[in-house]
Amino acid sequence: MTSFRFAVLAGAMFFAAAPALAEDITIGLATAQTGGLAFADQPSLVGFKIAVDEINARGGLGGKYKITLDIKDTRTDTATTVQAAQELVAAGVKVLITPCDADPSIAAGQISQPAQIPTFTFCGTTPTIPDAVGDYMFGTYPADNAQAAILAEHAVAKGYKTGYILKSPDSAYTLKLPEYFAQAFTKKGGQMLGEGTYTMGQQDFAAEVTKIKALNPQPDFIMTAAYEPDFPAFLQQLRGAGITAPVLGSDGIDSPTTTGLGAIADGIVHTTAGFPSEGSKLAAFYESFKTATGNAPETVYVATGYEIPYIIDAAVTAAGTMDGPALRDAIANLKDVEVVTGKVTYAGTNRMPSRDITLVEIQGGARKSILLATPNPADVPAP
Amino acid sequence: MDLVLQQIVNAVSLGGIYALLALGLAVVFSIVSLINFAHGELMTVAGYGMFFALAVSLPFPLALLLAVSVAVIAALLTERFAFRPMRKADVTGLLLTSFAVSAILRVIFQNGISARPKPVPLPAGLTGVVEIGSLHIGIVPLLSIVTAALSLALLLLFLKHTTLGKAMRAAAEDFEVLRLMGIKANRVIAMAFAVSGVLAGIAAVLWIAQRGSVDPLMGFVPVLKAFVAAVIGGLGSLSGAVAGGFALGILEVLFQAFLPDAALPYRDAFVLSFVILILVWRPDGLIPAPVSRRS
Amino acid sequence: MLEVSGLKVRYGEVAAVKGVDLSVPRGAIVVLLGANGAGKSSTLNAIAGLVPATGDVSFEGKSISGLAAEDIVRQGLSLTPEGRRVFPSLSVADNLHLGGAAHAGGDELKRRIEAELDRFPILRERYAQKAGLLSGGEQQMLAIARSLMAAPKLLLLDEPSLGLAPLIVDKVFELILGLKGKGLTILLVEQNAGRALEIADYGYVLQTGQVVLKGPGAELAQSGLVKQAYLSE
Repeated sequence: MTSFRFAVLAGAMFFAAAPALAEDITIGLATAQTGGLAFADQPSLVGFKIAVDEINARGGLGGKYKITLDIKDTRTDTATTVQAAQELVAAGVKVLITPCDADPSIAAGQISQPAQIPTFTFCGTTPTIPDAVGDYMFGTYPADNAQAAILAEHAVAKGYKTGYILKSPDSAYTLKLPEYFAQAFTKKGGQMLGEGTYTMGQQDFAAEVTKIKALNPQPDFIMTAAYEPDFPAFLQQLRGAGITAPVLGSDGIDSPTTTGLGAIADGIVHTTAGFPSEGSKLAAFYESFKTATGNAPETVYVATGYEIPYIIDAAVTAAGTMDGPALRDAIANLKDVEVVTGKVTYAGTNRMPSRDITLVEIQGGARKSILLATPNPADVPAP
Repeated sequence: MDLVLQQIVNAVSLGGIYALLALGLAVVFSIVSLINFAHGELMTVAGYGMFFALAVSLPFPLALLLAVSVAVIAALLTERFAFRPMRKADVTGLLLTSFAVSAILRVIFQNGISARPKPVPLPAGLTGVVEIGSLHIGIVPLLSIVTAALSLALLLLFLKHTTLGKAMRAAAEDFEVLRLMGIKANRVIAMAFAVSGVLAGIAAVLWIAQRGSVDPLMGFVPVLKAFVAAVIGGLGSLSGAVAGGFALGILEVLFQAFLPDAALPYRDAFVLSFVILILVWRPDGLIPAPVSRRS
Repeated sequence: MLEVSGLKVRYGEVAAVKGVDLSVPRGAIVVLLGANGAGKSSTLNAIAGLVPATGDVSFEGKSISGLAAEDIVRQGLSLTPEGRRVFPSLSVADNLHLGGAAHAGGDELKRRIEAELDRFPILRERYAQKAGLLSGGEQQMLAIARSLMAAPKLLLLDEPSLGLAPLIVDKVFELILGLKGKGLTILLVEQNAGRALEIADYGYVLQTGQVVLKGPGAELAQSGLVKQAYLSE
């Protein structure tokens, strides 16, 4: 009887103690909630927080590490990002999240790298971000060169022979993505007829468009990584000049503004991190997001931000610990992690994941997914 | 030849928008020595006005009217609550105030509306092309030219033929004496801000017609262009602002069109170098403001 | 009509006017004399509300201290500032229009403009020209006409003869006497002490911001100090 009582007591103590075994850990976010990057970092954070709540409700990362968040606004300033990263590292965060851009991400990563803290850029797409920092730095979003490879594959499949790219030296994204594309397209036998340059925010493409108009022969298509406000202005002026060549774009134009352009947007094909096709996991996520918040997500960044805690969760489950080196190795070995936009794989990459990318086509003011695939690593131009 | 004509149309269309913007800065600067860097945010306010108007399905012309009206209201509010209390401050103090107003408005847009761009779809008819001979002119650039010309003409009529307009021109030359005439300083200054709001609203509509969306940071590039144009023309000079706007538009289009490809990424450097040359040649701008004789 | 007592004006560290008392009786011409920097213009500007001052200024028994310039002119005091300060890029017509716009409208405004054009026929000839293109004398006429558009009871004139040819100076003084004849009260600041005292009913001499001498015009003209300092030529 006594021993029975003891067993019950011990059992009760065990269960009472069980929650205490779950360790609270902190994830630090040094991201831009105001300023020029807020358009990407704000929605990413919204998604990130939802996932953290869900994971905590299930018992935490790997079932045992409850997450608290330490969120700092970097105001789209690299120096502020560095300062925020220093404070977060000093506070002992176990994972660091950096903004959707290469420069502040690399600067912050250089602080978390020596502290052995795994670090993710929210949605930085420059494929060189991880290598610029070191083995604790990871990307999550479809990289520029991967997007370019998928687009080039599409151009070849369409039978396009000649192309023209429009790029801007003002950002790595607007400069390198078209260059990666040209590389991938020519490697597959296509021919580039020329390239144009624009200044971001300028909104005046009349001179560039007049030049394209003067090309003889006209290119089979025009490819650009321009996004708002440049892309709509470019497209209007392009169509305004009577140029009908189809336009290929990147994930930057995955925005309601593009479909708002009406008939001139018809025929645009662009990459995106994810598209909520009927019956897809992403559609289900959007639906539950809408139920919870009353509004549909404004952008796929909500979804990609939502995925990051789940990627971390998969790694913690594999590693069984929040210990820096072990967690780093676990992330680097992740394979086919199922997230709402598709599958993500880090194994065999330079920590810029190999992951599903969606191609969508715009027709009649609506988007339609025409392809969901992970680019063949052999086709992806070297960063 | 066609190419040249086409580029001239491009230059005039862009120059017209710059002229409206620069004029908005100049109207205020000529009277209160304030370079209002929040002028760009007035455009953003107009953009959001248009977005919300279209979101509740107001007819397009009404949306335009609303866009301009909210820009005017915003201009008057910033004058009343930010710039009027700083009236006695020097040029630097006023400049910093305008930076503060601009930064506060941007954060309000980002956190109060959305950090994401909001689409402002244009009626389908506006995205077309007019063919004049072998020239293709987009309806939007054409409307830009017509609107800019009309606005400039109306402003000129207002300045020449109404008491408030005359008072504004007089205030730009000698504010003290104007007050000696019994004309209320606050009214004239408020009027200047209202006019700058109208100009910002019109410029915003033309600017948005090209880009199809409004976002919290939309005003940054235009206000910089306006500032450069106003300096080229002669800070504080109204006719100078118009001249500077067109000069800047023409320079930008010319360099974009005729620079060799390898040099194109440096276009803005070429444009600004040319601006410096203009200022070396005419340090006070193309059409300098009359020197104020305030004692 | 105008009573000023203990008027003080400071520009930062510098005290320009250090407690001036003066009074201007209705219908009189009162002149303020003094060297450059004696505080004459500062006194006028303080009365007109252009520069902040302490002390009391009352007009027709009502204190106007601390009122804004644009409100003081509505009380019936109009200042023609030193250096004429017409609006150079505005036409003569617009200059006159602005002078009266705050005080009269419609037909009354037109009537006042007509009256000034009758008083200054040269302005009628120059009516559509830019004020900046007028000669110095014409600009002075315009500046005075512009002040008169407010239909003031008291006209404050700051150095109206400065920089004008002798023939024109004569005209200006004739005009001032003429205005007095029409019942206008005038407070005049002048460098040309001899001419000013000829027409003044009363005068004050300012030195470094203080009144050092005062008296009827004819009396002052005979005073040794005035003779030595201002009438030596």
